[in-house]
Amino acid sequence: MKSSPVHPVHLFLGLAIWAAWFVVLYGGLSVGCTIAPPDSEEQAGTWINGAIVVVASLVGGYLLWCAYRCAQASSQAKLQRDNRLGVFISKTAAAVYLVSSIASLALGVPGVLLPPCV
Amino acid sequence: MFGWFTAVLVGVIALWLFAIKRSPGKASAAHLRKVQKRWIIWGGLALPVSTITVVLAFGLPLGQRMLPQSSPEGGELRIEVTAHQWWWEVNYPDSGISLRNELHIPAGRPVNLHLTSADVIHSFWVPRLGGKLDAIPGHTNILRLHADEAGTYRGQCAEFCGRDHAHMGFTVTAHEPSDYQQWVGQEVSDE
Amino acid sequence: MSEYAQAQNRERQQRLERVWGNLPGWGALAAVNHTTVGLRFIATGLMFFLVGGLLAMLIRTQLALPGQDIIESGLYNQLFTMHGTVMMFLFAIPVLEGLAMYLIPKMIGTRDLVFPRLSALGYFCYVFGGLIVLSSLVLEVAPDAGWFMYTPLSSATYSPGPGSDFWLLGITFVEISAISAGIELVVSILRTRAPGMSLNKMPIFCWYILAMALMIVFGFPPLILGSVLLELERAAGFVFFETAGGGDPLLWQHLFWLFGHPEVYIIFLPAAGIVSTLIPVFARHPLVGYRWIVLSIITMGFISFGLWVHHMFTVGIPHLAQAFFSVASMLVAIPTGIQIFSWLATLWQGKVVFHLPMLWIIGFLVVFVCGGLTGVMLALAPFNWQVHDTHFVVAHMHYVLVGGMLFPLVAGLYYWLPHVSGRMPSDSLGRWGFWLFFGGFNLTFLLMHLTGLLGMPRRIYTYEAGLGWDWLNLVSSVGGFIMAIGVAVIVVDIVLHFRFGKRAEQNPWGADTLEWAIPMPVNTFNFSSLPSVDTRHPMWHTPRLVESIAAGEHGLADVQALRRDIYGSDATTGKLQEVVHLPTNSWLPLMTASALAALCVSLLMKAYLLAAVFTIVALGLVLRWGWENGAHPRAAPTDHNEAGAPPLHSRTFSGPGLWGMVVGLMADGTFYASLMFGWFYLWTAAPEWTVPAHDSVTLLPMILSGLVLTVAVIAYCHLVKGLRRGFAAHLGARLWLIAALGVGHWVLLAGQLVSAPLAPTERAHDAVLVVILLYLLLHSGLAVIFTSLQAVRARLGYTAVQLPYEPVVIQPFWLYTLGVYWVSFVAFVLLSNAWSVG
Repeated sequence: MKSSPVHPVHLFLGLAIWAAWFVVLYGGLSVGCTIAPPDSEEQAGTWINGAIVVVASLVGGYLLWCAYRCAQASSQAKLQRDNRLGVFISKTAAAVYLVSSIASLALGVPGVLLPPCV
Repeated sequence: MFGWFTAVLVGVIALWLFAIKRSPGKASAAHLRKVQKRWIIWGGLALPVSTITVVLAFGLPLGQRMLPQSSPEGGELRIEVTAHQWWWEVNYPDSGISLRNELHIPAGRPVNLHLTSADVIHSFWVPRLGGKLDAIPGHTNILRLHADEAGTYRGQCAEFCGRDHAHMGFTVTAHEPSDYQQWVGQEVSDE
Repeated sequence: MSEYAQAQNRERQQRLERVWGNLPGWGALAAVNHTTVGLRFIATGLMFFLVGGLLAMLIRTQLALPGQDIIESGLYNQLFTMHGTVMMFLFAIPVLEGLAMYLIPKMIGTRDLVFPRLSALGYFCYVFGGLIVLSSLVLEVAPDAGWFMYTPLSSATYSPGPGSDFWLLGITFVEISAISAGIELVVSILRTRAPGMSLNKMPIFCWYILAMALMIVFGFPPLILGSVLLELERAAGFVFFETAGGGDPLLWQHLFWLFGHPEVYIIFLPAAGIVSTLIPVFARHPLVGYRWIVLSIITMGFISFGLWVHHMFTVGIPHLAQAFFSVASMLVAIPTGIQIFSWLATLWQGKVVFHLPMLWIIGFLVVFVCGGLTGVMLALAPFNWQVHDTHFVVAHMHYVLVGGMLFPLVAGLYYWLPHVSGRMPSDSLGRWGFWLFFGGFNLTFLLMHLTGLLGMPRRIYTYEAGLGWDWLNLVSSVGGFIMAIGVAVIVVDIVLHFRFGKRAEQNPWGADTLEWAIPMPVNTFNFSSLPSVDTRHPMWHTPRLVESIAAGEHGLADVQALRRDIYGSDATTGKLQEVVHLPTNSWLPLMTASALAALCVSLLMKAYLLAAVFTIVALGLVLRWGWENGAHPRAAPTDHNEAGAPPLHSRTFSGPGLWGMVVGLMADGTFYASLMFGWFYLWTAAPEWTVPAHDSVTLLPMILSGLVLTVAVIAYCHLVKGLRRGFAAHLGARLWLIAALGVGHWVLLAGQLVSAPLAPTERAHDAVLVVILLYLLLHSGLAVIFTSLQAVRARLGYTAVQLPYEPVVIQPFWLYTLGVYWVSFVAFVLLSNAWSVG
């Protein structure tokens, strides 16, 4: 997040990252199962499950950090008078990042429970 | 599930109607904002999140159990089903039996159906024996069928497949294990 | 105001009327005004709704009793296919688009949408496409493979008649109209808001429409791609969905639902926007949780793209992958929940005034929440396996679509009727209509859940007696007819009100948004002067707003040089940036749409030579259209003594055209990405995928062609950079040079297409490759034509250092062309080779 945290791009960047993660997850799963299917097909706990959990926590963690950045920016923006737009954007962006973070982690949950390729 | 969902439905509607009838008292702006936040957080966030969590917690493992895994003791019966416009071709690779629009299975024993199609997409469905699975040309999908009791079950194509889609029915007859062996013997000797 | 000032003001308004008005008589067909076009969209959509409803009545008649033979199977299949198609493509989306086109400029305080001729083109494409689809029913060759057109049932082998072609061509035609409306709405909302209307002061309806329009831009291209591929397979025998040769029927399902699920939300969002607009007005209280709602709109817009596979739970996808889509499908319940409780809180805080539209809003709540809850159940894969493709899903879907779209739409129609007619709808007849419709609806569809749970599959034209479905179906049919009577009452009510309704006063409902500052019934130029905005509720918080607008106390009060002028403003802050001058009435949209319709019909008749002729005619018309644009003296006449601040948009670097181009390229990019998805999907998942033994294209000419293109694009970027710095020596000559480089690239690439040993009718690999090559050729060809035209315009003085608008618009197109070229190169030449070696 190099650009200023009140830039409107943050209104959707979090969910764009979520979407990318979703695509990677779904595509990666089919490719992973085609190229290197894990030995024990019927239990969770294969290398694919591991990868899903690790990447899910990385993406979720990063988005959480972004949410924190935006929340901080909003309390700074509050100090300036007449910056209602700045407060609006940064607060909404913080919520969007938070939602994306939760959604990204939620996608990882089935990865803990289910075998990958059946 | 149905009970809880009906309760949510009735609850939300009742709240709305009450909110419309109700006349707001005088309250400070800060108090108002607190009330609003409470509505959104409890109703809009907490309620759906908890419902989803519960539903998923039950649903995901349930779906897992319905998968056609090879059970430790083995011994599933394998039946190959090929869908055609507008009939079902049924083959028993173990015994070489071929049937048309009827399946015979042993009760109390899991059966794996290997589904495919010779023309368009069809879907194999016996409402009382569980979920449906599509028969797709070029693909083979495996459906686990498990009849607890002997009897005759009605089945039907569930994916729209053209002119006679409505008439693409079949029957599944589940036999007691001993009767089933007898049936197999009879079919094999007939051929 | 003195009498003299009043007369002056009247004359001023007449000048506005002359410039903004439609042509008289048949000239109305040349109208481009958003009010006119929006109303035409709505009226036409409602007509198609009646047709779709009629088809539904026929279906219910057939299903009323078991074993009936009123309608035979073939006709029944046509009926339900057309019912779904008409309701989804010809009613739901166009009506909501029309409503958005009508309302958005009025809500954001401006006079028209930003590309008026595109609005008109969209309308004509919609009408012609719709008529083509409907004509198939009259000719008794209507598509009969379901509105989802699953392959291989819809492919040439199993649907040999022209039905599927009617669907594929007609619907693609309608979708072009949807995408053009989507692009236009996005750019209008972002760039032409009233000065001072920053993002946080935008009416909430605009957020909903912004999300809907962007979703159209990203959601429709996959289906257009699917339709193009399927039509190529049907007409030319290319392999995409046939298993033999390396295609896969499931690819169609992916492409279809990649569009199909977002589409449900494309329909739901604007309807929810109506609810969010109406509730605060009738509750006399600002919307609670504006920021929460914006959050849920954005979230919905994204998450709805991650649900498509839940329509495909029974095709045999790995369980873990299904679980991802289960989770995503359930996540979407959260933003819905937030909105419902925000509305509840608004009603809670406010003092509710009860009018007819509120009745429909309550109907919406009951029906939609019910549909949403069954939706959560369906998202659960094991439950879905049981009820998928049964009448349970039919019931669920109608609860969501009728509840989530039709109820709010009717609420909105009643609410905005006075705006159009200047008269109030009647309360008593309207109530009758509501209760008949609401009662009939629930009678039909509530019991249908049970029918489905008892195992009745969808899309069967008849059923046997004694399966427990008999009385349920009969009740559903009776309910359906009650619902139809309800619709008739509503139609009568609305028609009568135009004649007998009592005159509405200004802002009859006491609303807060700007559209009610316009005199009623509506005029052609909306605001007689363009106000600035400093609050989210201008009609509540700005005193004397209506009077001061009418008196011409705000911006652009008088006509300049007979131009149609509006303000352009900053996308985020809403600060005033430029004056955007819009084109006036034009016959070009009608002519272009007619040429496209003729193209469509000749494809249907398989008259390919004729089709080629009409393609050239259409292209010529589009270029003619683009010619009268930018700084062309007919597009932007100027007074010599006109003050230069704010500048005319054709004198700037970031006019709406650039935004339109970028949003258009997003749609184009989605089309390309879907094609890439199809390529990788077939590669990894098609059961009989084969790669030709030898290289399909030759490496060296491909690299050479790419390098020439790269040089052309670098030169073009250099040229635009120079323009930005005020340097434009030899502008025309340099443009010609770039065009020449483009031609060199094109010839090299076309040579590859001709000389490569491709067998698209035998191998899916080659079929995809041919499509990609054609796609690349189309883009670089267009870039060359645009650039050559710019060179001519530079000579004529329409493009110059002080008129840099158009070269800037074309720059993203060149960059995009370059990007897709190299991406395709890597995907097809390098990756493909590496794969076959490894």
